[in-house]
Amino acid sequence: MISLLRQCLLILGLALLPAAGQALYLRDKVSWQSPIPASEMVTVANARGWGSDAIWLDARTAEDFEKEHVPGALLLNGERWNELLPQVLANWSPEKRVVVYCSAVGCGSSREVARRLRQEAELKNVFVLEGGWEAWLAEKK
Amino acid sequence: MSKSPKSSPEYGGRVLQGPAPRPRSTIVWRILAIIIGALFVYAGALKVWDPIRFAGDIENYHVLPWSVNVRLAFYLPWLEIICGLALIFRRLYSGALAFLLALLLVFLGVSIAAKVRGIDITCGCFGHVSDQLSFAWHLVLDFAILAAVIVLWRWDRRPYRVEHVGY
Amino acid sequence: MNLPTKLLLGALFLGISTGAQAQLTWEKTEIELNPPAGAESAVATFKYENKGTTPINIKAVRTSCGCTTAALKKNDVAPGEKGEITATFKPGDNVGVLQKTVTVETDDAKTPQTVLTLKANITQMLVLQPNFVFWQANEDPKPKTIVATAGKGVTIKSLEVTSSTPDFTTKVEPGAAAGEFKIIVQPRETSHQINANLTIKPDSSVSPGKVFNASARVIPGAT
Repeated sequence: MISLLRQCLLILGLALLPAAGQALYLRDKVSWQSPIPASEMVTVANARGWGSDAIWLDARTAEDFEKEHVPGALLLNGERWNELLPQVLANWSPEKRVVVYCSAVGCGSSREVARRLRQEAELKNVFVLEGGWEAWLAEKK
Repeated sequence: MSKSPKSSPEYGGRVLQGPAPRPRSTIVWRILAIIIGALFVYAGALKVWDPIRFAGDIENYHVLPWSVNVRLAFYLPWLEIICGLALIFRRLYSGALAFLLALLLVFLGVSIAAKVRGIDITCGCFGHVSDQLSFAWHLVLDFAILAAVIVLWRWDRRPYRVEHVGY
Repeated sequence: MNLPTKLLLGALFLGISTGAQAQLTWEKTEIELNPPAGAESAVATFKYENKGTTPINIKAVRTSCGCTTAALKKNDVAPGEKGEITATFKPGDNVGVLQKTVTVETDDAKTPQTVLTLKANITQMLVLQPNFVFWQANEDPKPKTIVATAGKGVTIKSLEVTSSTPDFTTKVEPGAAAGEFKIIVQPRETSHQINANLTIKPDSSVSPGKVFNASARVIPGAT
């Protein structure tokens, strides 16, 4: 009988093979670094490519929005959700794609806003902007 | 493995590798091992089916960062399946029991920790099939499986019988 | 001096020097709150004590967002003195598990900065699922249902629903369980664009007068 340690190592190795295989197979469908699925994020370039089909939503505070925001974007954050949501819904239609952004630095608001839109308003095609507001600024130049 | 004097060639002795000849109640243990093995194969298969969802479930416990959780989500289900198969086919048996013991203890630990921290966890050992079970029943089920694994572990670890195969 | 003696003296020195320093200790640096459904604010009290031998001055208290305010009675903490920081969190319309931090800066060399975490579980008084119903242009104007569920621990006797335009009719029916209501919304016709706001007034002892909104629309066809 093989020693316990060798058995454990063998088991670890045996499990690694199918796991690695599965991970390789699904590598594009999985978000490896952050919990937001890749299918729910969009890059600035792609989002801009959607042109007028995109509705941009700013999930930051009103102050940040007033200072500067994506042209044509609407403000929608958690604190003033009830007040701001109707305006967003009045501008939405099923063929539009919603792009939510907030500050990329430690801001989870865009994720939360996207989640609430999907769950409460049952909207489809809601995306979070990869890189956030900072990515937009970088591409603007 | 240290060589006891009686097993070294000079003494002409040899430790019988493996468990002592089994009594009739062996069949009970074999059945138990197969049942537990099948349970883990089933549990693992459920999670292998949707590793991304499992990653989300692990993330819910808020113990490790996402980058670790997502990799664990791919690895752990296969580990469960391999260990379950090991139990059924009695290969790499001790190692499998050791891993299953460790997995169960860790899982029990984080489940209780999550409950204490007030985190709402809906995933038990069996993915989302067991969503309907209350937390108390989850614990009962997990302790029962843990008890079975411990029992199998202790039966497997019975002392070897030393046989003096002499000149 | 041989090595063990040096080490011993070094350890002694460290022990004495750290012992003599100030030490601001916190009873808890993470507090979880479960305010009742519909509450407009949640308050957490972080208690501290100066367990050291020198006075500590709390230089600044910063919060992670404007939604959280932190109050401190006085900045100086004498040795042996106890105090507390009261963090008030106003969630606004946010829901779910929210985490906010309060950073406390002191002149204590041992703990120059402490991060206090406030975790609040915000539940709504009334949950609408969904809060948006729509019909496409010329779609069959069949009624659609919004399920309104009372939050945990909240008793809602009835719901009053009014539409901002008469183009939509609304009807309230009891739901499957207690505290659950079905709001049936139907447009009169779907030939033209209509945007309506549905005002939902729950009859409840919790936050009386609070209204909830849902949107109903007839969306024009793509041009």
